[in-house]
Amino acid sequence: MGLQEQYRSEAAGLLSSGAVKLVIGYSAGSTPDRRRPVFVRTPEEAERLVLDGACVANLSTYLVTEGLLSDGKSVALFLKPDGVRSVNILAAEAQVNPEQVVIFGFEIENGQVKPLEGRKASDFTPVIEAAKTAGLSPELQKESERLDQMSASERFEFWKEQFAKCIKCYACRQVCPMCYCRRCIVDVNQPQWVNTSSHTLGNFEWNIVRAFHLAGRCVACGGCDRSCPVNIPLRLINHRMAKEVLDAFDYYAGESTDQKPVLATFRQDDPETFIL
Amino acid sequence: MTRILLKNRLDDCIVAWRSAGFSVLAPVKRSDLSRFDEVESSAEMALDLVLTERTIKDHFFPQTEPLIKYRIKKHEIDSQEMLPPDGKRVFFGVRPCDASGLAIDDPLFGWDYKDEYWFKRRDNAVIVTIACTASDDFCMCTSVKLAPDSAKGSDVLLRPLQGGNGWQVEALSDRGNALLEPISSILQDSTDAPAPTVSVPVRFDVDKVMEWLADPASFESHFWKEISLRCIGCGSCTFLCPTCHCFDIQDEGDTYTGIRRKNWDSCSFAMFTMHTSGHNPRNTQSTRWRQRIMHKFNYYRGKFGVNSCSGCGRCTRQCPVDMGITETLQAITNLPK
Repeated sequence: MGLQEQYRSEAAGLLSSGAVKLVIGYSAGSTPDRRRPVFVRTPEEAERLVLDGACVANLSTYLVTEGLLSDGKSVALFLKPDGVRSVNILAAEAQVNPEQVVIFGFEIENGQVKPLEGRKASDFTPVIEAAKTAGLSPELQKESERLDQMSASERFEFWKEQFAKCIKCYACRQVCPMCYCRRCIVDVNQPQWVNTSSHTLGNFEWNIVRAFHLAGRCVACGGCDRSCPVNIPLRLINHRMAKEVLDAFDYYAGESTDQKPVLATFRQDDPETFIL
Repeated sequence: MTRILLKNRLDDCIVAWRSAGFSVLAPVKRSDLSRFDEVESSAEMALDLVLTERTIKDHFFPQTEPLIKYRIKKHEIDSQEMLPPDGKRVFFGVRPCDASGLAIDDPLFGWDYKDEYWFKRRDNAVIVTIACTASDDFCMCTSVKLAPDSAKGSDVLLRPLQGGNGWQVEALSDRGNALLEPISSILQDSTDAPAPTVSVPVRFDVDKVMEWLADPASFESHFWKEISLRCIGCGSCTFLCPTCHCFDIQDEGDTYTGIRRKNWDSCSFAMFTMHTSGHNPRNTQSTRWRQRIMHKFNYYRGKFGVNSCSGCGRCTRQCPVDMGITETLQAITNLPK
């Protein structure tokens, strides 16, 4: 039995026993190579679940849907290690009770899905530790170094050109499990702190706010980068932030459900190189 | 015998139009994004794209547009209109769906109040459309009763020649005729046949959809909740849509001086209908998605006699969660009677 069939039957079992009220997984999309999120509520519907190498979206973003977990019932979802890390952060930030989350874990290797052992977020700690040891993505590091080698003004021009494309559709925000604010700072309008205009300045404001709020929280699932309809390489910003906190504080976001947020805690021996 | 434009004479056209005072905009791929932008030579054009990622709407109704500059004085307010520039523009290589989008939006911008910012740009623009010989999985013009060679919204229609070396040229309006004048010596008479337009499958029954939407019982149908469960509430579909036209007026500046701007807004956003009281009549994503569909295929038609969709398919093509108008309208088409 393939992993897809195994998880389908387990999902049907969890639903029929009432152990979970909902399974969030992937189903066939509008073209053969697309997968879309699906919400399965009955054992019969579990047949719709698809699991293969095209299932890349981080579904944990749906966990912060208003009211989803407020009845105390559990939800199962299909997650790669990056998604489990998101659940850990959401738990650490008191947004999600990890006891309510059943995880169908999987990894994609060379386009094939591989099962991951465990059903609770904490079961995946060894997988996440191994990912931390393996280090940040070498491809992203390579792309990022190209930017590092630029002069400050060249880099500024690069980002200006990229941000000029932004249309403030906020797909990057909406798809991100970390962007759970009920009212984002850019939507606060009494007073309007941040310009709503999508001119270059307004776009810089938005993208910088986004980057700051994701520092030490982004798990590099790539959702924002894939969702951006104007192809801004948001992955490079996220990568740079992740690298900063890893190098400076040995901090890898989403290691466990009780990991303290990096920017909300300190150690006596934290580097203070930024103090002149 | 028809007039044709050979591809190897396109640069001569650009020169002729530019010296006649037009700027020429065409599909380009710049900074990893396909869109319409000014070009000086045909080599810059990306005419092989099925469709640009951004629409030409951007050049008539920009994502942010200054309306007036103002200065509040002790007893009076100085204000100065900031109308768009006067320049004449040719849009070369527009797809029929995008050209139709402009025509669909014209009545909206000219309804009770004539939007000068839109019409000034419209009046100064000539739309040269190229009929489609290719489509992708998301194209759905035929489903909304348009076609890969629709003339709607176009001033000149080009049909690719069978040999791929040029286009058959047909002027559709006075503006189109005027545009062909400076290039009359570049065009040739020919009997070359045009290539067949692409056959785009009809993906839903728009008549049945309209009928269902018009039924008051459909408004509170459970259908809306189910179909929009995975919607994440971004504005990608609305901002990439050639007909979506909602905007928000914002004053930017300090207490005394500033610029009043017209900024795109989206019915997908939770903030879109938020009242000052905090009450939001569309407080769930399903009510917002329902609004989008109802507006396009029910209310807009009721007011202006046309659906607010030209079938470009960008909503689905670019949706982060693979939603879009096609899926919803297919689902409505397949609802049991």
